[in-house]
Amino acid sequence: MSELGADGVSVAFAGLKALSEVTLRVASGQIVGLIGPNGAGKTTLVNALTGFQPVTAGAVTLDGAPLAGLRPHEVRCKGIARTFQGGRLFRDLPVIDNLEVTGVALGLSRAAAIAEAEQMLAWMGISHLAGRIAGTLPYTDERRVAIGRALIRAPAFLLLDEPAAGMSAPEAADLSALIRRIAGERGIGVLLIEHNVGLVLGLCDPIVVLDSGAVIETGPPAAIKASEKVRHAYMGTAADTDLPVLESGLEVLE
Amino acid sequence: MTRGTILRRTIATPLILSALLVAIAVLAFAVGSRPFNQTVIDLFLMVIFVVGLQVFVGNSGVISFGHIAFACLGGYVAAWTTIKPVLKSAAMPGLPDWLMGLEIPFWAAAIAGALWAALWAGLFGAILMRLSGIAASIATFAMLAMVNAIYSNWTSVTAATSSVVGIPILRTTWPYLAAAVIAIFIAWAYAISRHGLALRAARDEPTAAAASGVNIPRARFIAFVLSGAVMGMGGALYAHSIGLVTPDTYYLGLTFTTLSMLVVGGMGSLSGAVLGVVILSALIQGLRWLEAGVQIGNSTFALPGGVQEIGLGVVMILILMFRPAGIMGNSELSLPRRRRGGAENPGQTGPNT
Repeated sequence: MSELGADGVSVAFAGLKALSEVTLRVASGQIVGLIGPNGAGKTTLVNALTGFQPVTAGAVTLDGAPLAGLRPHEVRCKGIARTFQGGRLFRDLPVIDNLEVTGVALGLSRAAAIAEAEQMLAWMGISHLAGRIAGTLPYTDERRVAIGRALIRAPAFLLLDEPAAGMSAPEAADLSALIRRIAGERGIGVLLIEHNVGLVLGLCDPIVVLDSGAVIETGPPAAIKASEKVRHAYMGTAADTDLPVLESGLEVLE
Repeated sequence: MTRGTILRRTIATPLILSALLVAIAVLAFAVGSRPFNQTVIDLFLMVIFVVGLQVFVGNSGVISFGHIAFACLGGYVAAWTTIKPVLKSAAMPGLPDWLMGLEIPFWAAAIAGALWAALWAGLFGAILMRLSGIAASIATFAMLAMVNAIYSNWTSVTAATSSVVGIPILRTTWPYLAAAVIAIFIAWAYAISRHGLALRAARDEPTAAAASGVNIPRARFIAFVLSGAVMGMGGALYAHSIGLVTPDTYYLGLTFTTLSMLVVGGMGSLSGAVLGVVILSALIQGLRWLEAGVQIGNSTFALPGGVQEIGLGVVMILILMFRPAGIMGNSELSLPRRRRGGAENPGQTGPNT
């Protein structure tokens, strides 16, 4: 059992506070949701958790020990993996090598890394993509390959930055099933950042809501749906108004 | 898939390229003309330089304007270790006694040149490899200028800007052929190694490579040192091909020529590096003949001097306009084979276009 945490993390860019005293925890096998309007600081938080963004105050911790000063590749060596908005595959390399890179970077020989990459593609059901040059993949496959690349060498945590962006409803449903398997079968703690609120409500517990860099609500899906503050952050409206973001999201999922 | 599979799948590339060079050497031997022999030696030296450059530039995507500095380091090692002690003490009186008395064969000088260049590539690389993109490129250029300034001014051990003569001249093509083939195999072995793969990932998408666990400065450092060693070997052999060294032998002219060969052939491809040398060498040689004058009937037709450099520039600009990834682009020369389900060739991954 392992735990990744942000303890009162603040990040400031030239005086502008992107995050202020954000605290959250992700445990092994748990799927934590992170939602919030555009510019709420969700990606900044992921960057802070993975060494891409130094924190101004507070600490990122792994099993209680601070990860201060680690560079991104060192954070990955500690078992904290992530994906990016828009895939960011190694587009001149074949899919199999995209996955293989993580293996060799973490110390495997090429042969061992290829073997693990093949197993991973099979586990995800995308073995047929192995020889394709990554830059030629359609959007949805690109996302899946990016997740596969992050799962190599069994990380303890996986941070997914808007994996469902641009996906159709059936594709998003496939993605939810995959994320459940990642947490369930592999025991990986997942932090899911998504604009598709319906997806998050159906998949995550607890859910953390960020607005203007601060956590405004944390709780199970039901509490988030009922929250006055969340409605206000998203819509700037009162509680009795219909909230299409939440409603439509739920329809997408069920 | 096993290590053996990667080897089998990719070994055709260095074999084909080596066969091409062997064919050129045999042709030179058959023709038996002294100037043509020298042209072929120059071609092999350029193969060593451009392949050495490709190890770093092709896999990292960082253009280096400074690699000829490592050739300079290697060239002076040849001068320090192979000139007869009597000549040495006159030209470079500041050399330490053990070096002054040393007289080693050319191949030992080539190895020593490679190691000396690798040492300095390590020292420079430890700092430069933290930089990225254009900043790294400019810094390599600064490195070239520094090395040139040191070798142009440290009179007691480099004879400053005067030529250091007396390096035993090797007029036969075979040693150069052997060295070029070694360079090709080094570049191939690196490209298919785990370090080469990690570096190509960092070239395509540095952010994602770091998130995948790739230590980018370290991956670049390994390529930089290895390519520096190949350049050092080439520099030492270059000294043996002309019998003398000056700092300006290894400066802007050679930098421009080698970079244009790499760009024309295709930076991302080992085959591109070799073909770029062969094609541009042929072009340069053709223009040289025209500059010297061709007899047509009773009149002599000659191009004005400098056309050779202009021609090189024009070819480079045309390639950059119409085929920015170079002649070979993303691919390697290989035997025909099934494409589907396979993975890549070494370095079969073009520069970002």
